[in-house]
Amino acid sequence: MTRATRAALTRRSLLAGASAGLISSRAWAQQPSEVKVGLLVPVSGLYARPGTVMRQGAEMAVDHINAQGGIKSLGGAKLKLVVLDSGDTTEKAKNAAQRMVAQEPDLVAASGAYLSSFTLAVTEVTERANLPVLTLSYSDLITDRGFKYVFQTSATAGSQAKQALPQIVKLAETASGKKPKTVAIVTDNTAASVSSAKAMRDGLLAENGLQLTVDETFTPPLADATSLVQKVRSARPDLLFFLPTVISDAKLLLEKMNEFGLGQGKIPTISFGIAIAEPDMLQTVSPELLQGLLTCVASWGAKGHEALIAELKTRYKEPWMTQNAISTYGDMWVIKDALEKAGKADRVAVADALRAMDGGPSKYYPLGEIKFDEKGRRVGAGMTIVQWQSGVPVTVFPPQLALAQPFWPKN
Amino acid sequence: MRGWRSLLPIIVFTALYAAVSLSVTNSYYQLVMTLVPVWAIFGLSWNLLSGYTGLISFGHAAFFGLGAYAVVLGQIHFDLSPWIMIPIAAILGGIAGLLIGFPTFRLQGHYFALAMLAYPLAILYVFEWLGLQEVTLPIKRDNPIAYMQFADHRLYTLLALAMMLATILLTRAIERSRFGMALLAIKQNEAAAEGAGINTLAWKLRAVTLSGAIAGAVGGFYAVVLLVVTPQSVFGMLVSAQALTVAMFGGVGTVWGPVIGSVILIPLAETLNAEAGSRFPGIQGVIYGLAIICVILLAPEGLFWKVRDFLRKRSASPAAKTSSGPDIPAAAVPSAPAPSRSERFPGTGDVVLEVRNLSRSFGGLKAVQDVSFKLRRNEILGIIGPNGAGKTTLFNLLNGFLRPGTGEILLDGREMSGRKPHELCEAGIGRTFQIMRPFLRMSISDNVVVGAYVRAKTDAEARRLATEAIARVGLSEIADRIAGELTTKELRLMELARALAGQPRILLLDETLAGLGHDEANEVVAVIQRLARDGMTIAIIEHTMQAMVRLVDSFLVLDHGAVIVEGEPEAVTRDSRVIEAYLGKKWMAHAPH
Repeated sequence: MTRATRAALTRRSLLAGASAGLISSRAWAQQPSEVKVGLLVPVSGLYARPGTVMRQGAEMAVDHINAQGGIKSLGGAKLKLVVLDSGDTTEKAKNAAQRMVAQEPDLVAASGAYLSSFTLAVTEVTERANLPVLTLSYSDLITDRGFKYVFQTSATAGSQAKQALPQIVKLAETASGKKPKTVAIVTDNTAASVSSAKAMRDGLLAENGLQLTVDETFTPPLADATSLVQKVRSARPDLLFFLPTVISDAKLLLEKMNEFGLGQGKIPTISFGIAIAEPDMLQTVSPELLQGLLTCVASWGAKGHEALIAELKTRYKEPWMTQNAISTYGDMWVIKDALEKAGKADRVAVADALRAMDGGPSKYYPLGEIKFDEKGRRVGAGMTIVQWQSGVPVTVFPPQLALAQPFWPKN
Repeated sequence: MRGWRSLLPIIVFTALYAAVSLSVTNSYYQLVMTLVPVWAIFGLSWNLLSGYTGLISFGHAAFFGLGAYAVVLGQIHFDLSPWIMIPIAAILGGIAGLLIGFPTFRLQGHYFALAMLAYPLAILYVFEWLGLQEVTLPIKRDNPIAYMQFADHRLYTLLALAMMLATILLTRAIERSRFGMALLAIKQNEAAAEGAGINTLAWKLRAVTLSGAIAGAVGGFYAVVLLVVTPQSVFGMLVSAQALTVAMFGGVGTVWGPVIGSVILIPLAETLNAEAGSRFPGIQGVIYGLAIICVILLAPEGLFWKVRDFLRKRSASPAAKTSSGPDIPAAAVPSAPAPSRSERFPGTGDVVLEVRNLSRSFGGLKAVQDVSFKLRRNEILGIIGPNGAGKTTLFNLLNGFLRPGTGEILLDGREMSGRKPHELCEAGIGRTFQIMRPFLRMSISDNVVVGAYVRAKTDAEARRLATEAIARVGLSEIADRIAGELTTKELRLMELARALAGQPRILLLDETLAGLGHDEANEVVAVIQRLARDGMTIAIIEHTMQAMVRLVDSFLVLDHGAVIVEGEPEAVTRDSRVIEAYLGKKWMAHAPH
């Protein structure tokens, strides 16, 4: 109330002033009491759940930033989160982006939009509107288009597989005493899974001395996993890479594996992406079936985030902190830092600040720095390996972020 | 003249829309303004096939998606601008339409709809398998206009509007030509359309090709607007559903339907997404769904027809009162005394149709067995027999709905058995149906003109033939009335006119007098007699002996699919076998011997 009155007074006095023109009103706009930040994520439809978690992460960050005095270089201006629903289709996401840039002209930056295909569509709009967007989506394509206003905080899909594979081989070797030689890939055909599997097939497996013996692609939703599991059973690979996107598919395959006597680590199973470590998994799959399962994720609640994980638990009843929560939390802090550096609430200035940013070691994203290369990819972006241990997926890699020691299922 | 005047609303609408879109500066509203004509065009494309032919396609996304991918891939791989690729997308869509239509048109009704549903879903997986989960149109910073990348989004709206106008004009041109008439005839009754001389497969293939081409073009344009193409966003179920939704909401089988549907539904959906979506996630879908359900319940054929029927009723009700006063007896126009048989010298002309040993069975049922007869020029042959005697089956064999099991059908000495109905119609066999299939929303003239195209080269000639045919049955005065408002007798006469419009030499009339009162039947009989006097050869199926005895030159009596008696009316009506077949044994005693 008082703030609003003061703003109105300022404006009135400025308007009254003889020099009140375009420049001075811009000058006023540079000292706002509030700075708007966008969050464009799916909060309705098929992907509402991850979108909601992203919103929780963003809300927590905004509260923390404001509680610590807001944007100091803007006179303690508070961040204000503007949430837009990207819906569940590419078209809806694109329309929401158009709405965001048209209806919220004073946004300085945004975060979004969960699925790579949504982010691709959204950034086509924001690029043209010079609005910087931070994203946790990890399709390589997002930062391969020569765009200047998109910043990818996660390691790209190709890079994640490249980082993960040696770690997994090493983990298997130290735990079981012998180097794994054969692998099976069972993947669905969604964009993220396909690009991870492609990276593995196109040389990554060979580089790590692994031989592909089973290579199966399915279309979600899976009706029956029997034939897939039979193929895996007859080949008996040392490792199984299982890349589902839909939780029901994960459940079907894990249960079928168990039924065939391959479950609970008989064939060590490694996933990519977040689906297999979502809290929803526990609603359909028993913790015993999940025990030991590994997944490679761009980011996860890890060492140093204990307080955040606890807060998320009490505030939103989320059992653990997924990539969606921690990454979006981090995005808000990066935007905050860029605002501090830019010194004005202006989207182009914020984008410039992001491009020039050298924020030192990353606190909320795994490894690397708060610094973006010319493509907009975070420099040194690492990834995390998460393992189901006693009903909770915990970060086990990299060691400096690990909350628990990894164990290798013994057969 | 009439064409230009009716174009006015379309031009006014387009101009108004353009003016509004130019005044919109908010880029989000501009996007919505662009999406309205995009979905309207897609709805029109769907309407062109499904609205006019009644063959519901759940798979228009197949064409749409191919167009979208063609444009994106064309620019990525060959650096071809959408200006070039959208026409190519149209060609691809057309080819896809042809390829999909050819096998799928073997199916009808629900089977057709379900088969169509499969195409986009199957293609969706192909594109996923090809690794095209996400493709984007590369941004062109140097020469954006050449790649249809406008900084001013209003240009997209104008472009979409131009495409929509072109599609509307095309659809209207089709609607008024023999093309549209043929499609409408297929919708009402595909069999009857074949019987009226329409090569239904050929017209359906043309419709699906054109429809696919439009969908392909608009899909390509949509890719330019959306910038990112994913299989789900262009081949998904929701895309096909969008075409159905806008068309069914607005009105099926009219150019206005998809436009109205799109103008209302697209902004509504967007507004709900924008206003309700972030506060009550998901509520937008609920409201949207409810709105559609309400309209489907209240106006099953769409808003356009509901409003039009309402307006027509309001304007028609005072007019109807005045016109119903002096009742115009339709057939009374040239009321010359019915000529007697002897005036026509029947039965002496050449044999025009000869049937030899014709048989057809359905499983164990011998519907027609070993039927032979000759039909001479200018003769009226009455085919009678009790229910299930095989009369209609015989007609179906004669006009090609059914293939004969054995036997020959000789038309002017040429073997014609097993030909398609439209070929037999071209050869000069016209027919009417026991169950009338009028096109209820169309006027008498429009109903009749459908039958004329088999003979006419041009639309004008078809109109002339139709007018003549209507005059011959005496319906000229009410030729502009809508078929839905006619009496049974007028409908019978209209059906007769439709058959006549194709200028047949032989008319097969299937229970033309059914459901008529005594006086009405007499009026129709008078019309048939006049036709015979003018040289028409007629075979007529009838139950009512009375009217027939005065009408026909000879009888062919069928029972259990076989001919039991053939001969002069007087002789046949006295024949004991006929009486037995018709009335049962106990009436035999009354038969004069």
